[in-house]
Amino acid sequence: MPNEPGIAVEGVHRAFGPVRAVRDVTFTAAPGAVTGLIGPNGAGKTTLLLLLASLLQPDGGTIRILGHDPLTETAAVRSVMGWMPDTLGSWASLSCRASLAMSGRLYGLAKPAAAARATELLDLVGLPEFADRPTRVLSRGQKQKLSLARALVHRPRVLLLDEPASGLDPAARVELRRLLRGLAADGCTILVSSHDLAELEEVTDDAVFMAAGETVTVDRLQRAQSRVRDWRIRSLDEAALDAALAGRTGVRPERGDRLVPVGGDRAAADLLAELVRAGVPVAAFGPAVGELETTFLELERSGA
Amino acid sequence: MTTTASPPRAFTDIGTVVSLELAQRVRSTAWYVLLGVFAVLMLGITALLLPISSLRNQGGGYAFSTIVFFVLLLGTLITPALSGGSVNGDREAGTLATTQVTLVRTGALLLGKVLAAWVSSLALVVIALPFLAVAVIAGGLRIDTVLVSVLIVAIELGIVAGIGVGLSALITRTVFSVVVTYLIVAALSLGTLLVFALGGLALQTDQVVHSRSLQDTTSSDASKTPVCGPFEDTHQAVPRFDLVWWSLSANPYVVLADAVPGSFDKNGEPKDLFGGIASGARFAQIAPKPVVTYDDCSTASTNGPTPAQIMARTIPSWFAGLGLHLLLTAAILLGAWRALLTPTRKLPRGSRVA
Repeated sequence: MPNEPGIAVEGVHRAFGPVRAVRDVTFTAAPGAVTGLIGPNGAGKTTLLLLLASLLQPDGGTIRILGHDPLTETAAVRSVMGWMPDTLGSWASLSCRASLAMSGRLYGLAKPAAAARATELLDLVGLPEFADRPTRVLSRGQKQKLSLARALVHRPRVLLLDEPASGLDPAARVELRRLLRGLAADGCTILVSSHDLAELEEVTDDAVFMAAGETVTVDRLQRAQSRVRDWRIRSLDEAALDAALAGRTGVRPERGDRLVPVGGDRAAADLLAELVRAGVPVAAFGPAVGELETTFLELERSGA
Repeated sequence: MTTTASPPRAFTDIGTVVSLELAQRVRSTAWYVLLGVFAVLMLGITALLLPISSLRNQGGGYAFSTIVFFVLLLGTLITPALSGGSVNGDREAGTLATTQVTLVRTGALLLGKVLAAWVSSLALVVIALPFLAVAVIAGGLRIDTVLVSVLIVAIELGIVAGIGVGLSALITRTVFSVVVTYLIVAALSLGTLLVFALGGLALQTDQVVHSRSLQDTTSSDASKTPVCGPFEDTHQAVPRFDLVWWSLSANPYVVLADAVPGSFDKNGEPKDLFGGIASGARFAQIAPKPVVTYDDCSTASTNGPTPAQIMARTIPSWFAGLGLHLLLTAAILLGAWRALLTPTRKLPRGSRVA
């Protein structure tokens, strides 16, 4: 491997009594990239993040955060790892500035350095006007930003974000995306769990699919991705389009467009060439839903 | 995770946790109101006690000791509420896990929380200080009485703070950990008295009463020498408090009274509540005699030993009681430390990590 992976997980499993929350997870996340952790509710995403965040012991398997084992080198892992949980706890009677400074001091920053970092982070996540107000007055989206700032307080090289975008308005989502891209460009390894697939599609370089406590293997993923799915075709001449598609099964109209089942990218390219040859004025041609979403739904349907 | 933190790092961490706790949990309006109410109570007690003491020409001993016991009472009643939600309250608010992933070690986190709860309960002692000073000025107090009594109260409040914080890490629900802390305080303060009283009564032994009385002289002739009747033996059951006296030594009020060097006047009577309670508790160490003699014809004094004599004849037990309290606190905190270690193996029942 040219670069040490930011996160390397091999055969990790963890049960809570009879509940096998994480059964078999294997993946790596590269530095400089945003990796999406995708799976339906109850797939074990949060448990996996707790294992990575050095809060839970795995029953078996190995975890390396920049080469460090959370079990034996806990302090080394914690000094390079930032974790944003899905529950947004905050010290209610502290101001935003004070709580970030306090987090900095818990990471061993000296008082002045922690105070400076707090101000910097409030600007970064866009909460400067709330700096001196108690955290209990924050809205859900603002708490989300504060929680992200807290995870960044010690300039971690590996970021674990559990549902960071839920509760954010569109403008804040764009901000978050920009922020994550910037951190990745600086060489940070970022793992983002979410079931908001449209959001993830725009920000992630790579994706790890999880279902029923397991990461989905590459060939199963390829199978899911090559399955027949709908493509949306829009034409200036609906009649010509219908005529060209006459021989195909499963064609459905939707808001003036046609949804056409197509089996994979190769078949899609062929179909487009065919339509153009037939002189159909094609205005739009693309997958009806995002790639992540298709894969996600396909995995759910295949009873993963 | 454990060991090898250089001491300075651990100390700054504990300091950070203390300041976080004080800022977040304790320094609230309700807390200041409580302190204000406490100050008013102190004022009332001092205003009532001092005139009584000085009227009876006793100096400040009784006023001082009553205030000290009062601080111990209120302190042990308030501290569980301050400390009993320290860890599980954080878990409920979602701030425990985000603290656990920082570089602060479990021991520093726990100790910081105990110290913060202790410091805030010591605020009661600080508020009581001016009133104690008034009692000291009233006179008759030994300096070691003043120092030892305040020190013991401070230690006992620290013990309750430690138990409260420890239980809040061991019990998931805040309400239950606070209640269990109160139950432990009650078991030590009242339960020990119950064990003493019931145990003493249950373990009764037979005592022979060897007595004679003056024969009735129906003619009221004062010049006649009284006629003594024959000795008669009767039997009575007497409680054996000497077999259960040790249970009192675990009582924090007895610990306080017993630890303070007693002051007694020339008649052997205590000059403060410390001596009174300590000699009363120590008296229980003396076994009842198998035979007691009551002779109405004898003019010999039948007075028992004075409190000062009792103190001299019996053994002190406060260090055993205090040691037991410290041991209990240490055991609970050790359990709490183990429960809070991360990465964790077990999860508290019915709770999420974060």
